[in-house]
Amino acid sequence: MTQPLTIPYTGADWATVVPMFAVAVAALVVLLADLLLPRAARRGAALVLGIAGLALGGILAVPGYWTPHAAFSGGFVEGAFACVFQEIIVVAAIMSLLLATHLARDDQVPGAIALMLWSAAGAMLMAGAANLMTIFLGLELLSLALYCLCGLGRRPSSRESALKYLILSSTASAFMLFGMAFLFGATGSVTLAALLEPAASPMLFALGCGLFLIGLVFKLSLAPFHVWTPDVYEGAPLAVTAFMSVVTKAGALAVLARFAYAALPAAVSPAILLPVWIVAGISMIVGNAAALAQTDMKRLLAYSGIAQLGYIVAAFAGTTTFGLQFGIFYFGAYAFMNLGAFAVIGLLSREHDEGSHLAAFDGLGHRRPAAAAAMTLFLLALAGLPPTAGFTGKVLILASSVSAGFLWLAVLLIVGTAISAYVYLKIVRVMYARAGGAPSRPSSSPAALLPWVGICVSAVATVALGLHPIVLPGILPLVK
Amino acid sequence: MTGFDASPYAALSAVMFFIGVGGVILRRNPLIMLMSIELMFNAANLALVAFSRAWVNNAGHVFVFLVVTVAAAEAAIALAIVVALFRRSTNVDVDEVARLRG
Repeated sequence: MTQPLTIPYTGADWATVVPMFAVAVAALVVLLADLLLPRAARRGAALVLGIAGLALGGILAVPGYWTPHAAFSGGFVEGAFACVFQEIIVVAAIMSLLLATHLARDDQVPGAIALMLWSAAGAMLMAGAANLMTIFLGLELLSLALYCLCGLGRRPSSRESALKYLILSSTASAFMLFGMAFLFGATGSVTLAALLEPAASPMLFALGCGLFLIGLVFKLSLAPFHVWTPDVYEGAPLAVTAFMSVVTKAGALAVLARFAYAALPAAVSPAILLPVWIVAGISMIVGNAAALAQTDMKRLLAYSGIAQLGYIVAAFAGTTTFGLQFGIFYFGAYAFMNLGAFAVIGLLSREHDEGSHLAAFDGLGHRRPAAAAAMTLFLLALAGLPPTAGFTGKVLILASSVSAGFLWLAVLLIVGTAISAYVYLKIVRVMYARAGGAPSRPSSSPAALLPWVGICVSAVATVALGLHPIVLPGILPLVK
Repeated sequence: MTGFDASPYAALSAVMFFIGVGGVILRRNPLIMLMSIELMFNAANLALVAFSRAWVNNAGHVFVFLVVTVAAAEAAIALAIVVALFRRSTNVDVDEVARLRG
C-alpha cells in the first residue's frame, strides 16, 4: 500500500524560514569566496560577505513582525516576538563580526565567520521555535558551531575552554532532550501548544518540565549553573565572547519566554516556574558579588552578564504581559551596552594581546579619552545609572516584579544593582584616577577603526533607548 | 493510548540517563565523559521511541533520527577538539589518548 508523497507545507510556511536560509547560505558564500579569491582579499571579503548576509537576513525577517503565522504545523511561529529576537541576534552578530579581525590566524577568519553565521542562524531558529524538535535543532546548530569557535583563540587556555564548554553544554542539551522526551511522553505531542492541555500523566509532565528548565537555565548561565561561563568567556576569542554574551542568550531566552508564557497550563505554571525565578534572584547576587574580585575584563563581563540575565528573567516572573515587554526591552538594551563594552576592549587589543586585562585600562582616560568616555557610558549603563537604557530598563523591571507580587525579586534586584555599581565604578576610577603616560597614537589602519562603528552604534542606542524606551505592543500570543 | 505500557522503557531510560550523568560528574577522562554524554542522548532516544509507540505518534521516531544525526555531529566536533587539545596542552593525560587511538 503506497500513498503518493505530498509535502503538506505551503509557500507561506517556507517564507518564514527564509531569513535563516539567507544567513546560512551566506556562510557557504563566505567559504566559497575563500576558495576563489586571492589571498590578500580573503579576510576583507569574508567580513563584507558575512555582514551582508546577516543584514539581508535581518531585512527579510522584518515583514514577519506584522504577519503572525504558525508555520510547519506549529513548528515555527512568526510574529512580533520572533522578529524582535531575530533582529537583536542579527545586530549582535554583525557587531561581533566587526571585532573579528583579531579573531584568529588570518587563514582561519573566513571559516570562523562562516561558523558565526551558522550559529546565528541556529539562534534565529530558536527565536521562533514552537515545538520541541525545532527548539532542539536550533539549540544544537547554535551550540555545535560555538564549540568550534571557542577553540580558535590564541591563548593556550582556548582549547581547554572549548572542551569544557562542549562537555558541560552537551550535558545541558542532554538534560533538555531528556526533559523533552518526558514531555512528549506526558502529552503525546511535540508542539508547545499541546503542552497547554492537561497532561495524561502530571508527574511525567512535571519531571519533563524540570529537566527541560535545568538545561535551559544552564544555557542562560544563571547561578548556580553558571560556573562554566567565566572560563569559557576568558578562553574564547574576543569576537566569539561578544557573540556568545548576546546571541546564545537571545536564543535561550526566547525559548524560556515562549515556554513560560505559552506552554504551561495556568494551574501548574506558578509552581513549575517558581524555581526559575529563584535562580534568577540568586544570579543577581552571585553574579555581581563574584564580579567584584575579577581583574580580567572578559571574566568581569561574564559575571556581569550572569547578573544581567538574572534581571531579565526576573522580569518574566508572574508571566505578565508587561513583564515580557519590559524583559525584552531590557534584553535589547543589554545587547547594546554589553557589545559596546566588548567593542572598547576590541579597540584596545593588539596583535598578541586582547587588551582584556584590567591593567590595559589603567589611565585610559588620559591616553585615549574618546575610548575611555565610551567605556564609561557603557559601564554606567550596565550599572543602571540615568540617562542610559540600563536605568530605564531596571526601573521597568522593578515595576513589573513589584506589581506581579514578587517583592523579594525587586529587593534582590536593588541589592544586586548596589553591588554592581561598585564593580563598574571601580573600572571608571582606574581609567581616570591615575595618569597613564603620554597619549598613545591609535593605529590608523582601517581594521582598527572597525570597533568604532560598534561603539558609536551602541552608544547612540544606549542613550536613545534610555530616553525613549520602546515597549512592543502585540507581543502575545506566542504559540498560535 | 494503546495497551502498550511504556513505563518499563521509561524507567530503563532514566537509569541510563543517570548513569550518564554520573559518568560526566565522576570521570575525569574527556573521552569517557563524551561517552557518558552519548549515553544520555541515547537514553532520551529510548524514551522517545517507547512513548512514540505508546501514543501511536510518529513524531517521536522522527525526533530520534534528528537526535542521532545531531549526536554524530557532536561526537565529530568533540573528538576534533580533544585531539587539538591533547596536541597542545601538557596537563592532560596523553597516555589515555595513545591507548585509545586506532
